[in-house]
Amino acid sequence: MRKGRLKQKISLSAVMTWAVTVLVLTVLLSMLLFFIRMYQNSIEKNAMIASEQAVVQVVNTVENYTGDMADAMEMISRHIGRQEEARNEFFQSFLEIRSDVVAVTTYDLEGRLLDCWSDGLKQKAKLRENLSYMETPEKKGLHISKPHVESLFEEYYPWVVTVSGNMRGQRGQELQVSMDIRFSNIADYVDEVGIGQHGYCFIQDTEGNLVYHPQQQLIYSGLKEEAGEPDSLADGSYLRSNVIYTIRTLENCNWRIVGVSYVDELITNRVERMVRICLVLLFLVLITAMLLGTLFSWLFARPANQLTRAMGEFEKNAENFRFVQVEGTGEISALSDSFGHMVVRIQELMEQVRQEEVTLRKTELNALQAQINPHFLYNTLDSIAWMCEEGRNEEAVEMVNALARLFRISISRGHELIPLEKELLHARSYLKIQNYRYKNQFTYHFDVEEGCLPYLCSKITLQPIIENAIYHGIDRMVDEGRIDIRIREEEDVILMTVTDNGVGMSQEQCREILHREAGDRTGIGIKNVNDRIRIYFGEAYGLLITSELDEGTCVEIRIPKVKEGDYGTK
Amino acid sequence: MGQNKTGRKRSAGLLIPLGGLLLILCYVAGIRYITANLKGNDGGNGETSKHYVALVVKSTTSAFWKSVFSGANAAGTEYNLTLTIEGPDNEEDYKTQNEQIARAVENGAEVIVFSAVDYEANGAAIDAAASQGVKIVVIDSDVNSSQVSSRISTDNYRAGQMAATAVLDSPEESLRVGIVNFDKNSANGQQREAGFRDALRGDHRVQIVDAINVLSTTEDSKGGTMEMLKNHPEINVIATFNEWTSLGVGYAIQELSLAEETMVVAFDSNVVSVGMLETGEVDALIVQNPYAMGYLGVECAYNLINNLPLESSQVDTATTVITRENMFEEECQKVLFTFD
Repeated sequence: MRKGRLKQKISLSAVMTWAVTVLVLTVLLSMLLFFIRMYQNSIEKNAMIASEQAVVQVVNTVENYTGDMADAMEMISRHIGRQEEARNEFFQSFLEIRSDVVAVTTYDLEGRLLDCWSDGLKQKAKLRENLSYMETPEKKGLHISKPHVESLFEEYYPWVVTVSGNMRGQRGQELQVSMDIRFSNIADYVDEVGIGQHGYCFIQDTEGNLVYHPQQQLIYSGLKEEAGEPDSLADGSYLRSNVIYTIRTLENCNWRIVGVSYVDELITNRVERMVRICLVLLFLVLITAMLLGTLFSWLFARPANQLTRAMGEFEKNAENFRFVQVEGTGEISALSDSFGHMVVRIQELMEQVRQEEVTLRKTELNALQAQINPHFLYNTLDSIAWMCEEGRNEEAVEMVNALARLFRISISRGHELIPLEKELLHARSYLKIQNYRYKNQFTYHFDVEEGCLPYLCSKITLQPIIENAIYHGIDRMVDEGRIDIRIREEEDVILMTVTDNGVGMSQEQCREILHREAGDRTGIGIKNVNDRIRIYFGEAYGLLITSELDEGTCVEIRIPKVKEGDYGTK
Repeated sequence: MGQNKTGRKRSAGLLIPLGGLLLILCYVAGIRYITANLKGNDGGNGETSKHYVALVVKSTTSAFWKSVFSGANAAGTEYNLTLTIEGPDNEEDYKTQNEQIARAVENGAEVIVFSAVDYEANGAAIDAAASQGVKIVVIDSDVNSSQVSSRISTDNYRAGQMAATAVLDSPEESLRVGIVNFDKNSANGQQREAGFRDALRGDHRVQIVDAINVLSTTEDSKGGTMEMLKNHPEINVIATFNEWTSLGVGYAIQELSLAEETMVVAFDSNVVSVGMLETGEVDALIVQNPYAMGYLGVECAYNLINNLPLESSQVDTATTVITRENMFEEECQKVLFTFD
């Protein structure tokens, strides 16, 4: 029951563990969210910037390349008007140097093929279709066709782009000149460009035709498809779901560079790692919290519980409690020390109080014993003197004997408990003396069961009661008084009754007499008798007074059946 | 009570250092993990040893196979695989192929991407390889084995039908057809011929005059064709089903100067056959997608190694009919001419 309640209560260490965990969890989670957002933003921004930088670089390189094409065209235009021989010579060396130029062709205004120079390729006898010819480009500057297959030569079909321009021929006539270029150089370069982990870039023309893509053949084979989206976009960077498109148009021709990179892989990778790190951190913190909690409970909660338990035990059984030091932190040790000192002190005080009480009773008793003597002695001696005067020597002797017995028993020092026999002797001696003194105003009778005689009784128990019966009951009577003393053995007590037929007492007097200290004239008070019985034998024993006015008083004394030698054990 | 207490104390005395040790270990591991993660670069899971995929094909010389190889290499690079490419010198040599299969298994190939010279004769070698735990992907030409994980090829029967459709497009009133096919044991050639024959059956204009099987070389098919034409001069349509026989037929026509009179429906493309298409010796080319076969074959091998789901156990790659009229159309250019 008690344990259950303890379990239901939350322990300090659990509170500690939870508090730390929850605190760290919230902080960590909010930090995590915050960081992820920051991270995401910065990564997106970085990815954009990286993409833009990469694309700008590609643009520069490709622009150089196309610039080179323009230069070549420029060169051709300078030589196209020269004499046949010089012109052929030029083209021969030009085509030798520029291995990427497949052919240079010229057309008249109707689009008829006039001349074709190539580096030793065999021109088809019958041209089915000439893909190198373009309708005259309207635009000024460099015009580059979309990629096509070279169709002019036998058994040679490379993919080329055609650069065309209008020039003046030998006789100043208008010519359209086309230069077919294999763009393998630039293709190699574009293949190498990487943006992020899987990003790449490709070249398209302003109409959206693919010029070169690192996976050109995959696209041509229908295995891959490039999203059509960038075709319609103007220059700039665009974030579409997790793809970043960066588009730049070349300044000197109709090509555009499209950079494609993936934010997703960058961010999710990193964020995943962050999350993983945070989870591990959280785990560590949890361990720490648990560790701290355990430590805390070890250092504080457990000794505190021990202390509480010790206090509870002390509360229940203060006298026999033995305190064992509780180990713990400084505070706990101090608390434990203080409690230990307190326990010792309280136990000392309790012992002291009891000792003091016993001593008090003893001294009180001794004092009272000493106190009754002079009065009583004086009266008795007076009586004896008077007897002697009258020559009632026998009676005087008896009186003196009784007095001697009375005192011997009273004085028996050190023996607080005496056999009932002696107590009865004491009572008889007293009654004898008083009977002389009161000149047979009263009669008395003893009725004692033999078996009761060996039992112990606190000394001077009957005498004060008899004294009370004489002084307060019979003394004031006109008729002859009578005192009955009966001793009976009951089941587990000895019952002594002193009955008189005196004036009796009211209820209040009865109650008062048990609480009033002895006065000057009376000897040991009834209260004293009662108190002593209780001290020696326990609360269950003592006096019971019943009285009725003008009828008499009955005092019952109950003591346990204790024989000599038994007392200490009970 | 007292005993109980001491018992608990003793077990606690044992548990505390143990638990402490465990916690410290956790701590160290956690911190190490974090520092390792913070230091680590963005690179993925770190490269483990590369997986090995062997590509064993019928031939290594034709433009068709070169295109297959370039597709296979593209996929090999993309998926970071070690790729070996082997094939016999001639397209009838199934023995060499079987040896190559066995060697690939010995060398620890995880997947063999295979194109069979002989539908029956290669079966046992493939089964043996599969029994060693090697996975099999077939491209182009099938093999008689139940251990094949995936087949990636032209729908050969349908390609044959397409060839037949090209023949039927001819305005001639009477079509007297001669067939020049390659090795009888090669599955794809037979499937193409079957598709071709089935599609022509029932057309009253068509009469299949002769069908010959030649070695898969230019010379043999040229000789065979010339002989067939000598025996059956009435033939005005010739169908042939692979790159080498196409060239042989083309050369025979060239030599006999029958370009105008004879319609030739041929298979696959290379610069010579494209030239013949332009000059008239050949009238239609059934062009497959070898690059895709190579690429998809190796991609499929990668998926098998990584236990990724396959799209299907049978993948058909595209086939296009190219005629003189459409050969320079943009889409046809892309099919006909590889980009290098």
